[in-house]
Amino acid sequence: MYKVVIGLEVHCELQTNSKVFSSSKNTYSSDPNSHVSAVDLGLPGVLPVTNEEAVKKALKSAMALNCKTPDEILFDRKNYFYPDLPKGFQITQVTKPMGKNGYLMINVDGTDKKVGIRQLHLEEDTASLDHYGSYSLIDYNRSGIPLIEIVTEPCMNSAEEALAFLEALRSVFLYCEVSEAKSDKGQMRCDVNISLMEENSTKMGTKVEIKNINSFGNVKEAIKYEIKRQTEILQSGGTVVQETRRYDDEDMKTYSMRNKVDAIDYKYYVEPNLVPVKLSNEYLEEIRKEIPPLQYERINKYMTDYGLSRYDATILVKEKAIAEYFEETIKEGADPKLSSNWITSVILGHLNKYELSITDIFVTPKMLTNLIKMVNDKVISSKQGKEVLYKALTEEKEPAVIVKESGMKQIVDDNVIEKFVLEVLDENPNVVLQYKNGKTNVIDFLVGQVMKKSRGQANPAMTMKMIKEQIEKR
Amino acid sequence: MISKEKLKDYASKLMFDMEDSEYETLQSEFEIILKQMDLIGQIEGISEVEPMTFPYVIYHAKLRDDVVKDELTKEEVLYNAKQVKNEQVMVPKVVE
Amino acid sequence: MDYMDKSIDEIRKALDNNEITSEKLFKEANALAHKYQEEYNCFVTILDEKEEDTSNKTILSGIPYGLKDNFSTKGILTTASSNILKDYVPVYDATVYKKLKQAGAVLVGKTVLDELAMGGTGTTAHTGIVRNPWDKTRMIGGSSAGSAAAVALGIVPFAIGSDTGDSVRKPAAFGGVVGFKPTYGRISRYGLFAFASSLDHVGYFTRNVKDAAYITDILKGQDELDMTSLPDDGKKYVDTIDNEIKGRKLFYIKEAVDLENYKDNDDPELKETLKKFYETIELCKQIGFEVEGVSIDRKLLNALYPSYIAISCAEATSNNANLTGIPFGSRGDGKSIEEIMFNARTNGFSELVKRRFVLGSLILQKENQEKLFLNAGRVRRMIVDKMNKLFEKYDGLIMPTSGGVAPKFGDKTDRLSDRYLILENHLVIGNFGGFPSISIPSGFVNGLPISINITGRVFEDDVVLNMAYKIEEKLNYKNQIAKGVK
Repeated sequence: MYKVVIGLEVHCELQTNSKVFSSSKNTYSSDPNSHVSAVDLGLPGVLPVTNEEAVKKALKSAMALNCKTPDEILFDRKNYFYPDLPKGFQITQVTKPMGKNGYLMINVDGTDKKVGIRQLHLEEDTASLDHYGSYSLIDYNRSGIPLIEIVTEPCMNSAEEALAFLEALRSVFLYCEVSEAKSDKGQMRCDVNISLMEENSTKMGTKVEIKNINSFGNVKEAIKYEIKRQTEILQSGGTVVQETRRYDDEDMKTYSMRNKVDAIDYKYYVEPNLVPVKLSNEYLEEIRKEIPPLQYERINKYMTDYGLSRYDATILVKEKAIAEYFEETIKEGADPKLSSNWITSVILGHLNKYELSITDIFVTPKMLTNLIKMVNDKVISSKQGKEVLYKALTEEKEPAVIVKESGMKQIVDDNVIEKFVLEVLDENPNVVLQYKNGKTNVIDFLVGQVMKKSRGQANPAMTMKMIKEQIEKR
Repeated sequence: MISKEKLKDYASKLMFDMEDSEYETLQSEFEIILKQMDLIGQIEGISEVEPMTFPYVIYHAKLRDDVVKDELTKEEVLYNAKQVKNEQVMVPKVVE
Repeated sequence: MDYMDKSIDEIRKALDNNEITSEKLFKEANALAHKYQEEYNCFVTILDEKEEDTSNKTILSGIPYGLKDNFSTKGILTTASSNILKDYVPVYDATVYKKLKQAGAVLVGKTVLDELAMGGTGTTAHTGIVRNPWDKTRMIGGSSAGSAAAVALGIVPFAIGSDTGDSVRKPAAFGGVVGFKPTYGRISRYGLFAFASSLDHVGYFTRNVKDAAYITDILKGQDELDMTSLPDDGKKYVDTIDNEIKGRKLFYIKEAVDLENYKDNDDPELKETLKKFYETIELCKQIGFEVEGVSIDRKLLNALYPSYIAISCAEATSNNANLTGIPFGSRGDGKSIEEIMFNARTNGFSELVKRRFVLGSLILQKENQEKLFLNAGRVRRMIVDKMNKLFEKYDGLIMPTSGGVAPKFGDKTDRLSDRYLILENHLVIGNFGGFPSISIPSGFVNGLPISINITGRVFEDDVVLNMAYKIEEKLNYKNQIAKGVK
């Protein structure tokens, strides 16, 4: 068997109003060349000027990934010719990237793993090329959109780990609100480096790069295919060629693009038009303050502090807004387990059904907390509570109002319940006898009769308790 | 001395070609530069000096506010392109 | 109709007194531009219609000028004197052009340069060579050749150029006019076609120092489109131009101007130029300057030229990688994208430019970068540090702008000779450190103009202009135009 070694290079477009080095709009537009400036087109004489928002978001991402930040902002030029690169060089960071030597925690099947981040840097996106029969068309809208590239250590050992990393990374972007990170819009793109080595060897295998895979699902498939392909080569005594491959999502295979024999010399050097800007501690701390607790941290808190299962905790942190909603209910005084239960079972179902976000719904954390309290205080039953929540979500009415309007109130008055219980026992002497003779499951029938009489409002637990007491007396 | 073939290769990576005689001139030019830079390498203490990129330390530099402006019209974007189709710059098919 | 050889003050007065209108001035400049075009080739484009004036009134309102053809002018052909841009019509304005337009200055035409501003001869433009108005068999120098010649010919009272190594100051000297480049960042480079971004400066040609101050006052200021531009210092340089200079200290580099160092050199022109330089030094002393010779490590001085070549070529090869003929510029023929880029660049650039690009690329290669590019950057720092150290004691460096007069076409210079290595290349010090630097005419050798150059502390453009003004006053070559052309 072979050990799989995977490293990832992930590109993510940052969400800003304008582009990273020009003032044209940063937007995903189907109208070609509608948001382009002289700078994006690389016209003679133009100069780049760095967008502060892009810098802040890149630094924020770097900090969220536990990276060391630089003492100043500095950019470099990466020189190469390609038709999607109008200047003939890309402004990127080599000398002083926004982040270095960080990590991101992932969890696969209950096991934690630290994935090392080699570096995170800010750069500009290229124009987009569309290919047709005999020609290609260039749209410069994407040219200059801020992009961060994250390079991991080659430390993942399975497709599942790679996928878990990508999902965790995506959640960092979403939690930090630096990007929408939608892979279907090309906002998040991934290159995979993969090699196989002998199980007990220390010698790294030959690295194969798979370029520009457009969805997380495809990353997983591409890695699986590549492991299979390389395993077959090695098992049959062959050698893996160092090369760049692409993934075809139709037949789910990878294909060779080019051999990496002749590595390109990008002739990196410091971009002379972008003056270094010192980063003060105060400035960095302002940014750091904006980073919310992230998924991994929250899952652990929910498990240890609130006693939730990993499964439930994972569901709650999938979106920051949901986690925040949940935490808000706890702040309002809700029981964490009940809150988790009601959010995951009722509210998330509702969100899925109507494709809503939790920020869209009428029921606030406070309303949910009150509803949970009503159940806890036995004002209404748990069953009633769920009905009220459904109704509150669909009819957009306050739960308290629904409870009041429908007269839906739990009877917790001993005297009232006793009255119903005595009536039911008197009307069903045979059943009472059966119970006395050991057929104790008939008690459900008796409880049901009390419910019927009370139009469902008698507290079931109290009713059960009282029936038992009264039968004992007879 | 750097070979003509190597110079031709560098030129082709810069997307152009030159006449034979021009490569010869270039060969000798590069030799001179190399010799002079050899001498520079011998300047005392040079290795401890931080290479200079900016003429002086610029303290006043400001990052840009994230405001949208200065966009070109579509006509301006395409104004100098020699071949245009569907409001995009057209080139022979780019194969990766 | 003969205002174009006058100073800005004189023309301003005539305009304000209604002796002349800006339309008539434009016509005069336009007529002169056409008249000299065949003989001297100053312009790539001559405007035959005056641009609409939407300006506020300033000192420059209604005054014609020339603009080097590497400044972006919306709707006006801008070629950088290269075939690859021979049809390029920009869609945006350079900040310098915009400011001049707002100040009411009237554009007469776009002037010829050495292709892409690379070169110092004025002979590599795609539209042909530029000739020296003092002697048609000689070069005017470059790269701002057309701007220098246009001012020397009296076609316009001022013209804008750009200066990366000496591209304003050297041709100014060969043309017998004033050439000034302010502190790096004093004037926005936005819209100036980049040659070597860390060395590129906007500069200009005038026929007296005060005019250079007027133009600086109009052009300076921070530009949000150029991150290297300086916040405005709030000064008006023209106001302090006549300040007292008594007690100001100047130095010159002994190694470069000491006649003893040229014993084996039988170039009489060089010796005459140095003799004149010492005369000028005496004159400076007479008017109150203290002047001293200072020694600078010979090895460092010899490193100026190769370091300049390394830095400028490296930056240039990258800066000009946008010239592929795809979104703009002359497109090559071919079936594949590589072919069309390859042909565009092969046919679009001339030899000198290509050689410099390859050199620049070699210098940036991974295996050479440490020894070539980074060592050049180290020399740059050592020189600039040395200068700043000297500037603690001295207010300025005074040197002959060139070791001689304008060369003849076809003259072979020995680039490694002592004269060449130091005397012909010391001006790059001004670009290395971004120091304000001005050349002013200081006399004649063999009937051709020579100049002195003054370089001052960074940010102290006002002091440099003030010192130059005072020396100019004494020298008496103010407002000269090429003899015999009028």
